[in-house]
Amino acid sequence: MPMTREKLGGFISIVCFKGVITGMEEALGERATSIALISAGRTRGKNLVTELGLAGSNPSLEDLASKLDFALGENGTRLCKVDKIEDNGDTIKVYTHETVCSAGEEQGSSRKCTYSMGAVCGAIETIQGKRYRPKHTESVLRGGTHDVFEMSMIG
Amino acid sequence: MAQASMLTEVVQKFVTATPDIQGAALVTPDGLSLTSVLPGSMDEERTSAMSAAMLSLGERIGQELSRGIVDRIVIEGEKGYSVMVSCGDDAVLLVLAAKEAKQGLLFLEIKRILKDLAPMVS
Repeated sequence: MPMTREKLGGFISIVCFKGVITGMEEALGERATSIALISAGRTRGKNLVTELGLAGSNPSLEDLASKLDFALGENGTRLCKVDKIEDNGDTIKVYTHETVCSAGEEQGSSRKCTYSMGAVCGAIETIQGKRYRPKHTESVLRGGTHDVFEMSMIG
Repeated sequence: MAQASMLTEVVQKFVTATPDIQGAALVTPDGLSLTSVLPGSMDEERTSAMSAAMLSLGERIGQELSRGIVDRIVIEGEKGYSVMVSCGDDAVLLVLAAKEAKQGLLFLEIKRILKDLAPMVS
């Protein structure tokens, strides 16, 4: 049986999570850290939707946004809020806010979402059975209303 | 960028026509697979992320420890070699070779395939 925390429960502070990221960046460099965190996020997203029985279910984008928000948002693991998903042909745009990656950053920070973006991407890939290359295109830290992940289909 | 099928053809030909080469993968600098010809036991997604991260880490080591521009990362194990090398600015090439491979020839073959692949991924 997995070890649980009787008094502290299942959540940790954003400060500690950000400490992991900045510590990795210090030791490994920004790019290697980003690759590792996106990859970790993808695996997390994939496992999460598989555990929820959503793998291969391929719902409408509206339904997909709502399912992701349920899994990752206020009632889920609180990684981020997923507001909407837009289909632009070969790419889809996922609009999120309150992402853990942007939390705690100053306005104007160059910080990009890695783990959050990977998790959203991995979840959508597993639900739809497609593969995407994600890119963080708009940020709440740089004048955007959302953290937007643009995902191009790669197969 | 060239079609995935064209990249696969070049990489497949490289793996099958070059002695002692056991597999190869072409991945984006952010760790996503473009094409790969790998032994069945290897997870393509994980291998791609590892290769890109490893090359990036090697480049950081080169910079941080004043070793200059990194030509390639070579991991020599008891069963063979893993070689990671930049393929222009837009891709990373991973090559797996048997222990019996001659290093000089291996690097020469890698140099040759990079000349073919680089224009296709730019």
